[in-house]
This record gives sequence, C-alpha cells and structure tokens, in this order.
Amino acid sequence: MAEHNLSYKERGSALNRVYPLVKLIWVFLIAVGLFLFTRPLSGLAVFLLVLALALIPGKIRPGEIIRSGLVVFGLGFLLMIFHFLIDPGETVWSFGILHVSDYGLQQGPVFFFRLSGVVLASFILIWTTDTRDLMQSLVKAGMPYRYAYTIFLALRFLPLIQREVESVRAAHAIRGRAAGTTLKHRFVLWQRYVFTILINGLRKAENTADALECRAFGYAPERTYVKQITFRKRDMVLIIFTLILEAGLITAERLA
Amino acid sequence: MPRSLVELQNLTYRFRRKDDPVLEDISFSLEEGTFNILVGPGGSGKSTLCRILDGRIPHLLKGDLTGEILLEGRSALELEMKDISCSVGSVFQDPETMFATLTVEDEIAFGPENLLRERKKIREDVQKLLDLTGIGPYRQNLVWNLSGGQIQKLGLASVLAMEPKLIILDEPTANLDPASTSQVHELILSLRKQGMTVLLVTRELDEFLAEADQLLVLDGGKLLYRGEPYGILAGKGDDLESRGIWLPETVEIGLELRRRGFPVEAIPIRVGEALALIDKLNLVSRETVLTGSEAPGWDETAPPLIEGRGIRYSYGAGLYALKGVDLTVRPGEMLAIVGRNGAGKSTLAKMLIGLNRCREGSLILFGKDSRKWKVPDLANHISLVFQNPEHQFLTDTVAEEIDYSLQSRGVNDPEAMAGARERMLEQLGLSGESERHPFTLSAGNKRRLGVATMLVGDPRVLIVDEPTYGQDREMTRTLMTLLRDIRDRGIAVVMISHDMRLVSEYADRVVVMSEGLKQFDGNPTELFDKAEILESASLEPTLLFQILKALGERGVTCRGNIPSTGAFIKLLLREEESHG
Repeated sequence: MAEHNLSYKERGSALNRVYPLVKLIWVFLIAVGLFLFTRPLSGLAVFLLVLALALIPGKIRPGEIIRSGLVVFGLGFLLMIFHFLIDPGETVWSFGILHVSDYGLQQGPVFFFRLSGVVLASFILIWTTDTRDLMQSLVKAGMPYRYAYTIFLALRFLPLIQREVESVRAAHAIRGRAAGTTLKHRFVLWQRYVFTILINGLRKAENTADALECRAFGYAPERTYVKQITFRKRDMVLIIFTLILEAGLITAERLA
Repeated sequence: MPRSLVELQNLTYRFRRKDDPVLEDISFSLEEGTFNILVGPGGSGKSTLCRILDGRIPHLLKGDLTGEILLEGRSALELEMKDISCSVGSVFQDPETMFATLTVEDEIAFGPENLLRERKKIREDVQKLLDLTGIGPYRQNLVWNLSGGQIQKLGLASVLAMEPKLIILDEPTANLDPASTSQVHELILSLRKQGMTVLLVTRELDEFLAEADQLLVLDGGKLLYRGEPYGILAGKGDDLESRGIWLPETVEIGLELRRRGFPVEAIPIRVGEALALIDKLNLVSRETVLTGSEAPGWDETAPPLIEGRGIRYSYGAGLYALKGVDLTVRPGEMLAIVGRNGAGKSTLAKMLIGLNRCREGSLILFGKDSRKWKVPDLANHISLVFQNPEHQFLTDTVAEEIDYSLQSRGVNDPEAMAGARERMLEQLGLSGESERHPFTLSAGNKRRLGVATMLVGDPRVLIVDEPTYGQDREMTRTLMTLLRDIRDRGIAVVMISHDMRLVSEYADRVVVMSEGLKQFDGNPTELFDKAEILESASLEPTLLFQILKALGERGVTCRGNIPSTGAFIKLLLREEESHG
C-alpha cells in the first residue's frame, strides 16, 4: 500500500519527543510572527528556521517536504507574483502592460514566506506528532476530551483524503478530455475533485462519528489513557528560541 | 435453555420524510451463544437492521421506529447509546472509517479506555487480541498502512476489546483477496467455537451456512424466513435463489436436481453432502466421462491487441511490483486476472491504460509501443471501470456523463450525441435515470453507468476492476451478461477479481499473478487442478471444482472447462453432449 506523505511517523527524532502541546504553541507562534513581519528578510529567517527544524531535529526527508508542500509553495509563489504586479508603488520594471512596483517587490516575498512558513510548521506538527498524544496533552491542559478528540480527528482523515484524491485523479485521467478549452476542462475537473472528495469525506466522517459512539466514546467525563505523555522542561527551548528570534526580528524591523 | 440476547418484536422503521418503511414488521431473536447469518439481496435492509441492533438507529439516526427491541430483556429504546455499546459490538462494512487513532495497538485500546478500564487489564487484553487476530507483528503500524485483511482483523479486535455480548459483522470479507478472506473466515469461525453470539451479514456463505444456528432472510424490508439453514433451504431454497441471493454451488446443485424431479430430501451445503447426494441418486459411475468445453471461445490466432514481454515496474527503492510479466490479450476474449493484494494486478492494469509507464520490458498496445501513447489518446482504445464508479463521474446527470465521454472521443454534433446517448442508456437499462445525479443512483446502476461511460467510445479493450464489488447475485448476473455481450462484439474484456466463482463461471482464460510474476495462464478448470499454484497465490478452488476433483478421485473422468453448476448438471444428466 502506498505510503502517505502527510501523516505522522515515528522517526526517532528529537521533534518526535517534544511535548505535543509545546509543538502546537510553537506553530501558533510561527504563524503570529510571520503575520507581524513586514520585511521579506524576517520571513526568510523564520522560514529557514522552520525548514532547518524539519530537516535536522525533525529528520524529515527533503523529498517528503517537497512532495507535500509543492502545491502550497506553488500557490505562495503565485501569490508573490500577484503582489509584484498589483501592489501600488514606484514602478521598478515594466513588461508591456505589466508593471512591477517597489512595494510589490517587498510584499510579494512577505506573503510567500507567510503562507509557506505557516504551512510547513503545521506539516512538522503533523509529521512528528501522534494525534492521540496531542489530544492527551490538550486534555491535560484542561480541555474536555470530547472536544480535544473532535478537533484532532481531522488529522486522522488526511491520509484517507489523500488516497481519495489519488484515486479520483487516476479515474478522471482515463475519462479523456472533453471538447472545450483546457482551462475549462481543468476547472470542471477541479470542481469534480472537490465534490467527490467532499461527498466521500462526509460519508466517512459520518461513519467515524457513529463508530466513536458505538465504541463508548463519551461514556464518562474521564477516560483511561494506556500511553502516558510527560512534559519535560527542556521542550520549552523550542518556544523560547522562537520567541527570542521573532522578538529580535520585529525589533530590528522597527529600528530599521 | 439458551437465553435470548436480543429480541425484536414487530419492528417497523421509516427514514425521515419517507412513506415506505425500510424495515417492516420484523420479529426475531438472537439466542446467547448462537451463530446467526443474515442474507438478502442488495437494498433489502440488512445494513439498516444492523444499525438498529447496534443502537445507531434510533439513537444517532432518527426516523420513525415502532415495535420493540429488547436487549437482555431491557428496551434498547430506553437505554443510552453508551450502554448499548457495552453489549453490542459492530464491525462496519468499511472498518477503516471506524478507526479513531493512528496505530494498531492504540486502536484496540480505544474502546476499553473509554470504558475506564484499568491500564493493566487493557494492556493484557490488547496483547490477547493481537495474538487471536494474528496482527501482533503490526502492533506499531499506522492503521492506513494495513492491508484489507489486516484492517478487517483490527476492526474485529477493536470491537472484541470491549467484551460485547453480541458481535455484528457487516460484510466483513467484501472485496478482500482470497487469502485474507480465508483468514477472516477462520477468525469468525473461531469466535463461533468460543461460544460468542455472532450476527454475520455476508454473501459468502460457502464456509458459514452449515455452521449457522439461524438463517435470517430479508427482502424488501421484510423478514421472509428465519430458522435453521437446512430447513429453510429444503422449504424455501428455490425462492431464495429467485430473489437473487448468493447460495453455495452445493446448494444450487441440490435445488436444481430437485427441480428436475430427483428425490432430494436434504439440500446439501457441504461438499461431502453434495457428493453423497450424487452417489445416492446414482448419477455417476466409474465409467462416467464429464467433458466440458475444450475449445477457446475466441480466435487464438487473431492479432493481439495487447502484447507484453518481460514487463517490469518499480515504484522506487528497487522494489518491483512487476518482475517480468508476459501478457497477450486478443479480441473477443474474457480474461480474468487474479491474485492476492499486492500481487501486481492493479499495477499491470494501470500500465495497460497508460497511468504507469512501461520502462522495462516491451509493451505493445494496439500495434504501437506503449511509451508513445498519451493517456487521453489511449483512452479511446482501452477503458477501465474503477472499483468505485463514483470516482469516475464528472458531471451532474447520467445523460451528461455519457455526453462527456462522447465529447472526449470527438463526438460534438448534438444529434449524433443524442442518438449515441439514447442507444447507450437503453442498452445499459438506464433510460429512466438520464436526469438523475450519478451519485444518487443505486449501487448496481452506478456500476452500469461506469461501464456505459467507458463503452461509448467503442474501446477495443474494457478492463473492469472487481465487477461484483457491492453487487448482489442478480446485479452481478446482469452486469456479467452485459460484459459477455460486449465480449461477443469482439471487445476484449479483462476483469480483475478476487471472486473465484465469478472467474470460473465467466472467464475464458485466467492469469494468476503472485509476487509480481505471472504464475499461470490458462482456463479456470486447469487452474483449479494446479494445487501448488493455488497455494502460492492463496486462491481457493470453488465448491464445484472441489466436487469435480472428488469425483475424479473416485474414477469419474472430468475433462475440459465445466464453469458452472448449470453446465455440471447438464453433463451429469447427459443433457448436453460431451465436447471435444
């Protein structure tokens, strides 16, 4: 059976061992930082930090990052080009009717790193965290387990959806190409991908919800956890280092 | 005296805003420690009945429910879902959607954790269930990396972990390969031996029917018959057959002989019982020769449509899914490709339709090197009907689906398109459904629409992945008759199937794949005679073949291809001249 890129895997990595809630807070901090930055260099620095964390303490292979992130990085790139061309400011280059502004040149990469950084950080959370541990860490932090489970059951669905997308794509490919523009055809296919995946996703979700009830989920306000997770103070290094870096970058932006 | 675990009294259920009941006036009981089988054609209400028994109806899915459901003497309508879940364990049709965690052992522990059991007991129970189901080596595996058989076993282990009194299994082996099916069957029979109360919904009755304490027959939402299987078969066997319910070949033989006036007191279920009946009726002697068709139904000298030599395919990391396969497909033949999951069948099919590129070995498709074909162009010559037809649908109505296929084959003239569409809808029996959304069709009609969208372009090869998936006997017969008609028009039909009975009945030729290699290429009867190939590919011979083999061991000469019980009876009663 095919291995799915966007799913948890025990790699024996340092990030695998970090307390799940710490990783969740870290993703949040990365997102906040990237939305506060106004200069491309700050975004680049945080994006490189996230990438380095994925590769070294996360032990995630570059191929996995590229395969899973290709669509989002591509979208980020298009977003960057879009900002180059539509943002106001002094024209730096002109190509016929297209004008690249100085403000666009600055904002484009900011948006690229914003999107790519947040998504990659989220991927790290998915790749290195057992959903169950994440849920348990939220319960330990005081969240009722029914809510904690419901939120993170979505992560359980990602591989199923990924498989569904692959099947639908293969099935559509052999239907051939109807007359009309390629763009129109692609739009029709895209619509159908979404529809088919949504319908089948909803059916699966309904089944899963029923199955949870059939397996006594919510039987009592508390539940047993066979596996225990423990918070280690040194896990906080991830948050502290990120906070210091982001605070430094924000300060540098203000002073510049 | 066995105690009644579940009792249904005059139960009627309607979905919300529907006038017609989906279940009507159902009364039966499941006694403690009994093995019960529920059968019925597609859409008869089997899954709805399972949902009522496990409490999903009416606790999670509302509707209009009347009558009484007693669970250990208490009204299930007054119990809460969490209480019912402690007594009734249900393994869904697609157990993968039941899973709430990531790894095998976590999944088994999930239910007992919800029930606040002690950690030590949960750990011990998990270990016991891993041993019982044989999935211990995969305890740390991610649930989505398991094979179909392992998923079923995990589903069962997860439910057993909650120590329910009743286990409901809804089509647990639908679409499993023969090896996995056999393992799951063994597991179910071991539960039966342990005295567990089981309700099994299945169409694969060969191994279970003789073991059942009670057979429940549902059709059109009504419980037609209930009771001990031999009694029901003796009294109502013909009726079951006419309602499109899959029955073992042994039963079919008994019923057919009785219809022909032979004194058949008990309808056989086991192979030994069928042989005893044949002996008792003196239908064979040591001199008997049963000779089926030996000539192929297609032209073996016709130029091949597909010719592959030494095909190899790797998904990377040096692991080969195909390790040097030769394959020839000629016009007008029905070829079955069989083998366990991971044997290379799907990889080969994807290669034939261009989704996988043949980089090693030679693959000539319609006289041209496969590497020179583009997928959309190849789609004009070879089509694949996917296992889940919904994946192939692209538009909002049945008619538009046909139009899309026509347009993709270059038919754009509205009149030509309308004519071709009407012809195709009529041929497939979908004329009355043309304005319906494809997703709202019945399972059988979805399958037919899948075939229709692939047929409109007049392909020269049609590949059908698991034709019987989600189909009852009548739907399967209709579909297979259609595929036979297609074959008779000179189109090569390639079916990928786990269903050995279907292969035996309909395929002209069978190719067995195992470990990326072709292990056998010949007619189905020859295959069933090759014990070592059957074993290496984990295939089970059909009951009919087991009968033929046993007759052979008694001195009866069996030759050629005897594909079905109908053909067997005709030869047995000398109604058909021996071929060859």
